[in-house]
Amino acid sequence: MARKAASAADPTPRTIRELRIERAGRRKRVAKHEANVLRDGLRLERVPDPHVMVLFGATGDLSHRKVFPALAQLWRTNLLPQDWMLVAVGRRPYDDETFRAEIGKSLEQFSRVPLDTEVAAQFLARIVYHQGDFGDDGAFDRLAIRLDEIDAEHGTSGHRLFYLATQSSAFPQIVAQLGRTGLDHEISGGGWRRIIIEKPFGRDLDSAKRLNREVGRVFRESQVYRIDHYLGKETVRNLMVFRFANGIFEPLWNRRYVDHVQITMAESIGVEERGSFYEETGATRDVVQNHLLQLLSLVAMEPPTTFGADALRDEKVKVLRAIPALSPAEISRDVVRGQYGPGWVAAQAVKGYRAEHEVDPQSETETFLAARLQIDDWRWSGVPFYLRTGKRLPKRATEIAIQFKGVPHRLFQDAAVDPEPNLLAIRIQPDEGILLRFGSKVPGLGLDIRTVTMDFTYGSAFAVDSPDAYETLLLDAMLGDASLFTRADEVEAAWSIATPIVESWVSDPEPKFPNYAAGTWGPEAADDLIERDGHRWRRI
Amino acid sequence: MGIAGGGSERGLMDVPVLDAPAVVGQPALRWSSRTDSLAGIEAELARIWGSTQLTTEGADGAPERRIAARTSVLSLVVIARQPEVGQRAAALIRMLVGRHPSRTLIVSSADPDGPSWLDARIQAHCILPRENAPETCAEFIDLVAGGATGQHVAAIVAPLLVHDLPVTLWWPGDPPLVSRQALDLLDMADRLVVDGSSWSGDGLDRLRALAALVDDHDLAGGKLAVSDFALLRQSRWREAIASCFDRPDLLPFLRGIRSVTVTYAAHRGAGAGGTNIIKPLYHVSWLASRLEMTVVRPLAADPTGGSDGGADLGSALVGSLRAGRRPVRVRLEPVASELPSGTTLTVEITAQRHRQELEIIVSAEAESVMVRSSLDGQTLPERRFMAPRRADVDLLAETIESVRRDPIAVAALQTAARLVGGT
Repeated sequence: MARKAASAADPTPRTIRELRIERAGRRKRVAKHEANVLRDGLRLERVPDPHVMVLFGATGDLSHRKVFPALAQLWRTNLLPQDWMLVAVGRRPYDDETFRAEIGKSLEQFSRVPLDTEVAAQFLARIVYHQGDFGDDGAFDRLAIRLDEIDAEHGTSGHRLFYLATQSSAFPQIVAQLGRTGLDHEISGGGWRRIIIEKPFGRDLDSAKRLNREVGRVFRESQVYRIDHYLGKETVRNLMVFRFANGIFEPLWNRRYVDHVQITMAESIGVEERGSFYEETGATRDVVQNHLLQLLSLVAMEPPTTFGADALRDEKVKVLRAIPALSPAEISRDVVRGQYGPGWVAAQAVKGYRAEHEVDPQSETETFLAARLQIDDWRWSGVPFYLRTGKRLPKRATEIAIQFKGVPHRLFQDAAVDPEPNLLAIRIQPDEGILLRFGSKVPGLGLDIRTVTMDFTYGSAFAVDSPDAYETLLLDAMLGDASLFTRADEVEAAWSIATPIVESWVSDPEPKFPNYAAGTWGPEAADDLIERDGHRWRRI
Repeated sequence: MGIAGGGSERGLMDVPVLDAPAVVGQPALRWSSRTDSLAGIEAELARIWGSTQLTTEGADGAPERRIAARTSVLSLVVIARQPEVGQRAAALIRMLVGRHPSRTLIVSSADPDGPSWLDARIQAHCILPRENAPETCAEFIDLVAGGATGQHVAAIVAPLLVHDLPVTLWWPGDPPLVSRQALDLLDMADRLVVDGSSWSGDGLDRLRALAALVDDHDLAGGKLAVSDFALLRQSRWREAIASCFDRPDLLPFLRGIRSVTVTYAAHRGAGAGGTNIIKPLYHVSWLASRLEMTVVRPLAADPTGGSDGGADLGSALVGSLRAGRRPVRVRLEPVASELPSGTTLTVEITAQRHRQELEIIVSAEAESVMVRSSLDGQTLPERRFMAPRRADVDLLAETIESVRRDPIAVAALQTAARLVGGT
């Protein structure tokens, strides 16, 4: 009775019966976001919508070495739409023809697979040059008009992909100009607008937040693609496949079985011609905040519910947030910084960092960092994660090593040598592959145990060229797949870990640099850091 | 050193090992020997991997590189009815050594009325993935069976499969899909690879038989995967057609399709049933299966007359589908053309919604697929998709990379069978 009275007063259907009757009476509507079912199964064939890509910083080194060669490979393999156009924006005075000639030379030098003359000509014909300063309103007004003209001429339907391959200091200015001219506005019924932003995303937590805020004033987060090329590498992507497509590892992937994890990214090269850049950056900002923490989050994250962009990034962010920011005391105990002095690498004498081009002879910039981090969550509590990166180390190698705990009971007490605990090493570069170490009986009458390895080498099992990371990432951005791009909260969570480290050094006494010779595995303090826990760095 | 006894008689053993210098990315023959029994094949396979002679000579004369990687991702069985088909298949598979190192068995039979015999050449082809890396090798067994032995191919193949690895059965040409021999072979296979566009006649009998195999619960536990190169080759066409409905305002027309017409190349004098129509048929069946259309009237000769080109091209086929309550007209029409017989020329789709009419014409132009469309007579932007003809080696590689059966391909095949009166 009470319900009837309520119904009379308020006709809104509430019970299942009322809702069913109300819905049955409605005209059936097509779901607002009905999918194009013809697309099912066509992921590998999907060609992005015809669009105009606008490349800022088109005359820069990154564009010549990486972006144009990657785009040319996509064109060569028919993965770009035939109606695709690229507007190259730069300050230098080129016209279309002279700029194309420059790019043609870069393609010859940097293409992963050489291009046919005809294919290269077709590709270059899609590129036009637009000269302008990023602070010049008129240049952006003219750009907006030119983009409309290209839309009309080439049928690119207002779809635009902006790519900021400039110095990071220019990002806010370009984003603001795009907002001022309305180039960020997505048009109803078509015309998507996306923006790719190159790293670095700020130089500390505050500047990252500021940059995110400035980008967020113009673009929605779903339009923003922050590129960390490491995530586009084939073996990094394979890391997710390895973890979540194989059932046998996941049950062992936790504090119960894992003793510790080592992540190493070693470079044999020095700072080359990037001295002034590196002086302001150092290993922490250049590698740890992005590449190493990305690898750590991929190793440590919980299985995402789907392979969708947000599900994946949600889990990565959770890992980063579970790493407590280190206090100054913890930093002095658990973080080791270093700077290389002169030494020998690959049988060649090399100079120390302070003698490099455009480097302060009194520089305190770190070229090496080793750190011990903890992840305070149910899965990893108590398992140390050791990170190590450096320049002018003996070799170039990136590896993730999962060191498992030893057996709980020593059964083979008579064996001459104790079996080493199992180890799983995931090599990212070079010789991408996976190595599993285990104990085996030495043939013979005795019961000796020797450690042997099962070694899967990616290049031997699949002797095919992998696409360059930029090819993967550019195509993903064109297709609107943000899985391999970094989200704003992810960037900030990573800076929350890196910023206190860098800030604490500012307050510390002057470091005794250089503290390791080029061609060695870093300062002794880095060995002490890990040996304190009874472990040692892997010999890579 | 070269291969000794290259022209040896059946039953004799060659002296193995070749030492061609390794070139990165180029497959090289590293072992070749011959035998005349299954036990001999197994012994030879064991010798390949146990041999210290697989060392190549370095520049300074010292042993330099040793085959270290025996990586197999599957057993690939090729049933070749003629030796030249086997040779062509072997040449293709050798190109995949680096990408998909496998054990490959190429089986052909000969002299069915003669005495039983077996002649097998065992080879190892190796590839150097990059400098300073071990070579990756794959095994090839080229096997000819004579007499009664040749009638029991499954019994020869079974003991030679690498255990625990998936088995792909590639049957070029016209496979006798309903024969006992085929069923015995399929019983041990996870995937069957065919090329429907190469089948003789119109290809429809084999298509029906293939669809029945997919439904057969006795084969691979009802999960036999089927890959048809004819369908794989159309992926760029499908992309082109799908792209027409990407625009949010055009997407609703997908549920308003009224007709699908496919024109295909036919040669003068082909007559009724003389042109393979598997490819044009797949265009319709893919579209119909994705949109959950049901077959109302299977394809039959157009009662109003043949194609525009006359009866010697064969008749146009017409049928009807149903999408919800709406009928959808289907027409496959031969057009005189010098292109290979059965090649799709155009796919034309009309759709209606709220009294608006969308017309789409997707056509082949040189090495591309062109999409032209109009909405109520207003021309929409054209799109061109590059669609170079895909080589068999790429199709085979793609097939091997698909681990499970593709539900979209299965649905397209089953709908195609229903469209031509199969069950």
